[in-house]
Amino acid sequence: MMLAALLLVVQVGVAAQDPRLERLDPETRSVVVWVVDSARAVGLPSEPLIQRALEGATKGAAGPRIAAAVRRLATDLGTARTALGQRTSAPELEAGVAALRAGASPEVLTRLRDARRPPLTMALAVLADLVASGVPADSASAVVLAMAPTARDADLVEFRKAVERDISLGAPPGASAAVRAANTGIRFGTSDAAQNPSQPPRPPSRP
Amino acid sequence: MSQPLGIDRVEASDAELVRRVRTGDIGAYGALVARYRGRLGRYAVHMLGDREDAEEALQDSFVRAYRSLQRCDDPARFGAWLYGILVNRCRTSGARAARRRRMFVRDADALNGATHADQADRVEWSDTVNRALARLAPEYREAFLLKHVEDMEYEAMVQLTGAGVSALKMRVKRAREQLQKFLKEAEHV
Amino acid sequence: MFDRDDDIVERVVRQLRQPVSIDPALDARVMAEIASDAAPLATPRPRFQLRRWPWLAAAAALGAVLIAKPWSGGSDGAANAFQFVLVAPQAASVSLVGDFNDWDPARSPMQTAQGVWATTVPLPPGRYRYAFLVNGVEWRADPGAPRARDDEFGTPSSVITVGGTGS
Repeated sequence: MMLAALLLVVQVGVAAQDPRLERLDPETRSVVVWVVDSARAVGLPSEPLIQRALEGATKGAAGPRIAAAVRRLATDLGTARTALGQRTSAPELEAGVAALRAGASPEVLTRLRDARRPPLTMALAVLADLVASGVPADSASAVVLAMAPTARDADLVEFRKAVERDISLGAPPGASAAVRAANTGIRFGTSDAAQNPSQPPRPPSRP
Repeated sequence: MSQPLGIDRVEASDAELVRRVRTGDIGAYGALVARYRGRLGRYAVHMLGDREDAEEALQDSFVRAYRSLQRCDDPARFGAWLYGILVNRCRTSGARAARRRRMFVRDADALNGATHADQADRVEWSDTVNRALARLAPEYREAFLLKHVEDMEYEAMVQLTGAGVSALKMRVKRAREQLQKFLKEAEHV
Repeated sequence: MFDRDDDIVERVVRQLRQPVSIDPALDARVMAEIASDAAPLATPRPRFQLRRWPWLAAAAALGAVLIAKPWSGGSDGAANAFQFVLVAPQAASVSLVGDFNDWDPARSPMQTAQGVWATTVPLPPGRYRYAFLVNGVEWRADPGAPRARDDEFGTPSSVITVGGTGS
C-alpha cells in the first residue's frame, strides 16, 4: 500500500537522523519526523519546521502542541508556495507564511510576486509586521502592494518603522499607514492601487 | 513532551558538537568557538605579545579547524587538536610580530574598577611579566606557556610541538631560569 | 634562594593565568567567514540546511542602539552580524534563543555591562523568530522589534527579517 511504503521511506528519512530532534519525546518526534520528511519530499523547506519543533521543546510545550504547530506550519508553507510559485526561496516562504497568518490573502501574495523582483522576503515581512502592529490587513496589503513595484527593501523597512513610531506615540495604526503612504506619493486605499499593482504609482519621494 | 519551563540541558560535549557540525549544523561550531576562545585567546596573546596578532591568529585557527574538521580523528579531543592548529599558527605569526616593536598586553584586571594604587601596581607587574615573557626565545616561551599556564602534559605537548619530551623539559627549564633572571633584573632597575 | 626563585616563577604563572579579554566580535567574524564556505563538511545536505545559523539577529532594546556590523556585503547570501540587546538589570543570566540557533540557550549566552545585556551574531538573509530567556525561566520578547504574531507556545517571541539574496 502507498501509505505503508511512505511510512517505510520515512523510517529512513533524513529527519530521523537529525540529532536535534532527540530533544523531543519519542511520540512527538516520530510525528515531527514524518511531517518534515513529507514536506521535504514535496520540496518544501524543512528547516523552519525543525526550528518550530525546537522552539516548542525549549519552551516546554506539550508534545501534541508541538506536533500541531509543526503540521500547521507545513500546511502554511505549502499555501505560501502555491501563491508565490515553485521557485520561491525558503526565507520568502517563511515571510509569506507570516503574511498569510497576518491576514493577507494568497491572492495578495501572488500580486506581490507579480509586482516585484525577488527576493520578496522583506516586502512580505513588512506586510506581516505592519499587521502585527495593528494596521488592518487590507490596508497593510494595499500599501505594500502599492509600494512594491518601486520601493527598495530599505524603504519598506523605513515605512514600517515610521508607522511603529507613530503607533508608539498613540496614533491609530490604520491612520498612520494611510498618512505615510500618502506622503510617499502613493494613492492609498483606492481600488486602483490594490488591483493594478503593475501600474507604477508616482515614484515615492524620499524623506 | 511536558517539562516545566526552564531548561535542564547538560552542555553538549565537544564530541557531540563536532558530530553535529559534521552533519551540517554550522551553529554547533559557534558553541565550540565560544567554548575555546578564552583559553586559546590567552595562549595566543601571551605567545605573540600583541592582541591584534593574537586575535588574528585565533580567528584563523578557528576557521582552519572548521575547514579541516574531517581530519580531527578523535572528536572527544577536539580541544587538543585545535590547540595544535593554534600553536602552529602562532609560530608563523610570531615571525611577523618580531619584526615590529612589541605592544604589551594590559591585564584584564587593569580595566576593572580596582583602586587607583592597586591598579597601578597590577598594571606595572603585568607589564613586567609581559616584558620578561617577550624576551624568551619563542620555543622556550611556547613550552613554558603550554606547560605552566595551559597545564598540558608533556605527552600532549609532544603532539602539538613535534619536539620530544626531554627537549620540551629542557625548554621549560630554560624558560624558568631566564624568567627568574629577567625578573630579578627588573626588581633592581 | 632556590625557594625564592620558584616563588618568582609561580607569581609569573599566576599572572599569566589571568583571563585575557578577547574581542567579543571575534566569534561573529569566525562564523561569518565559514558561512561563506561553499562546500559542506560531510555528505551533501539539502541546500536549505546549509544556511542555518546559531547567531543573533538585531534588535534595539529601550534606550539601546541598533548596530549592524556587516562583515560582508550581505547581498550574496553571506551573513551580516547583528547585535541584540536587552536591558535587564535584575537578571543573573540572559540567553538569546531563536530560529538561528536551534532555540538552544547554551548557544548564545549574553554578556552584560551594568544590566545591559548584549551579544552579536551573524545572520544570513531570512526571517527569524527569537526571544530572550532570562534566568533560564522567563521568556521576554524584544521590546524594540516586531512581535511574532503566532506565539503558539504561549510565550512571546520577536521577529527579525534580514534582507538580501539568501538562496
